[in-house]
Amino acid sequence: MSNIVLSAKNLRLTFGAITAVDDISLHVKKGQISAVIGPNGAGKSSLLNCLSGFYKPSSGMVEFEGEDITNLAPFRRAERGMARTFQGNQTYQSMTVRENILSGFHNQMSSGLLGGLLYWGRVQKENAHFINLAEEIIEFLELEQLRNTIVGELGYGLRKRIDLGRALGLNPKILIMDEPMAGMNTEEKGDLARFILDIRDARNIPVILVEHDMEVVMDISDEVTVIDWGKVISSGAPDAVRNDPKVISAYLGGDVA
Amino acid sequence: MLPSGVIFKKYSGEEAYLVTRPQKLVFALFIVALFLFPMVSSTYLLGTVSFMFITMIAVLGLQITVGMAGQINLGQSAFVGVGAYVTAAMAVNYELPFYVAIPIGGLAAGLTSILFGLPAARIKGFYLALTTVAAQVMFPLAISRLPRSWFGGPNGMSMPSMELFGYEIWGQQGIYLINLCFLIVFATLTFNLQRSRTGRAFIAIRENDVVAPVMGINLVKYKILAFFAGAVFAGISGGLYAYYVTYVTAEQFTLWLSVIYLGMLLIGGMTSPLGAIFGVIIITLLQETTHDIGGFLSDRISFLDESVIFPATNIVLGAVIIAVLIFEPNGMVRRWRIAKAAYRIWPKPHG
Ligand SMILES: Nc1ncnc2c1ncn2[C@@H]1O[C@H](COP(=O)(O)OP(=O)(O)OP(=O)(O)O)[C@@H](O)[C@H]1O
Ligand SMILES: [Mg+2]
Repeated sequence: MSNIVLSAKNLRLTFGAITAVDDISLHVKKGQISAVIGPNGAGKSSLLNCLSGFYKPSSGMVEFEGEDITNLAPFRRAERGMARTFQGNQTYQSMTVRENILSGFHNQMSSGLLGGLLYWGRVQKENAHFINLAEEIIEFLELEQLRNTIVGELGYGLRKRIDLGRALGLNPKILIMDEPMAGMNTEEKGDLARFILDIRDARNIPVILVEHDMEVVMDISDEVTVIDWGKVISSGAPDAVRNDPKVISAYLGGDVA
Repeated sequence: MLPSGVIFKKYSGEEAYLVTRPQKLVFALFIVALFLFPMVSSTYLLGTVSFMFITMIAVLGLQITVGMAGQINLGQSAFVGVGAYVTAAMAVNYELPFYVAIPIGGLAAGLTSILFGLPAARIKGFYLALTTVAAQVMFPLAISRLPRSWFGGPNGMSMPSMELFGYEIWGQQGIYLINLCFLIVFATLTFNLQRSRTGRAFIAIRENDVVAPVMGINLVKYKILAFFAGAVFAGISGGLYAYYVTYVTAEQFTLWLSVIYLGMLLIGGMTSPLGAIFGVIIITLLQETTHDIGGFLSDRISFLDESVIFPATNIVLGAVIIAVLIFEPNGMVRRWRIAKAAYRIWPKPHG
């Protein structure tokens, strides 16, 4: 039982007349990549936003490491080890690559306002220590050449990678990713898929992945949940889901089969 | 861009502002020159520069609140006023020395700002601007209503002179040196803050306040901290101002002054402490020139008296600020960086 890291129980989220999330339950196990797929507007981002605390579900519960976190503010969830990347481009544009990643270490660092102003020995040491940790992530994501580049000057695919690096800075116990590959070319997608697998295997971080590229999803995930109109219509191992008639019809018999 | 031939042995080395020995040497010489400046300067010029130092501290504070953390503040001069008044009260009523009275003034301004920074947790942009304007409106009202024995009521307060180790600091020279010391300290603090954990959190909030909390940043706490830190600087500036002008009244701390502070920051460049320093220099030069030209004109053309000249100089000032915002929205700091990079690759441009 205790190998479940994050679970959503009967989540429901409504916007006026729209029920974006309709009674969804989801369990993410240690060491697994769980994918959430579904057509546009199915409610995938809304589900993730309930998990990370942007939206308060109308009913249902979010449990993280066995504790109820449904009413916890986003920054409290981050403190507990929940990290996420975003749909679209949400990096800190004017910071360098390294500063972006360093900002992910916020909760592990301890110096406050006074320490920052005085920048005395202990604070300098702390900064230097975390710069080295940030460099490990930079190396992992193969961003060495760009460490001092302003992120706003980089292309979309690289910014998504930096978004991921920043999330890894939280030293997370779970990583939530919303459409990390949208807008990437095949090569960039391949790189990112490799990073996600490494995150699961080498860093032991379970991943929840929302992604439209079906081929990638089927290749790298351990579990797939398909939602449509806010409801789970199928879930299980990639192969089982792939052949589920309900899924095929939701995608108009299209690219899944 | 770095000078060529600079190699870092540690990643943390890249954080330093001054890297090469010539850089450090030039900077040290510059500081020494600032300390020697009173020996060659006229009293008028010294007074102007000294006043610039005081203003720089207030604008550096604004750089923290507005530039780093992205929280608009149109009440900075009210916080300068709180600092000036509390410093005056400490110096007059409790006969505390300036190096105790001024920090207390800074702290008082910081605490006051929390009251007006709290709404920043919920609102932003235009509405936040209005809230900070409220600080500006309430300040003179509060001062005139509070017991006369505290802050002198509507009459204001007269300052004693500064004393250090039993010696009276007198004349423009002494005041200049004190102001210079304070500026060096507070400029250093601002540059430090920028690359610290707290500074990064501020910048993260400015850049994306939706993402920042998901990265573990407590928005409410850091927005309030940004107001607090910026207002402490304002309060320090106010304390120095009180000793500089020797007399404080509520009318000295106007909304117009807050707008000028913001203009200085915008012209210099919001995103760097250097911008605050550049901005104060540029606007002061501009004010002095337009003032001189105005005086020149009003001496010669009979219908141009003070009632025309003062608004006219302000219009010129406003026009310059707007022009800079249109043509160089990143402020003069960007021009400075471009010039530096050009110098470093000269005479062989590459890349
Ligand atoms: N803040 C909001 N206010 C009102 N309706 C919303 C809001 N956010 C989402 N919705 C609605 O909820 C439904 C689900 O949206 P959601 O963004 O979760 O879909 P999605 O599966 O992430 O789609 P996509 O693949 O396009 O990202 C949609 O009908 C959308 O219009
Ligand atoms: Mg979405």
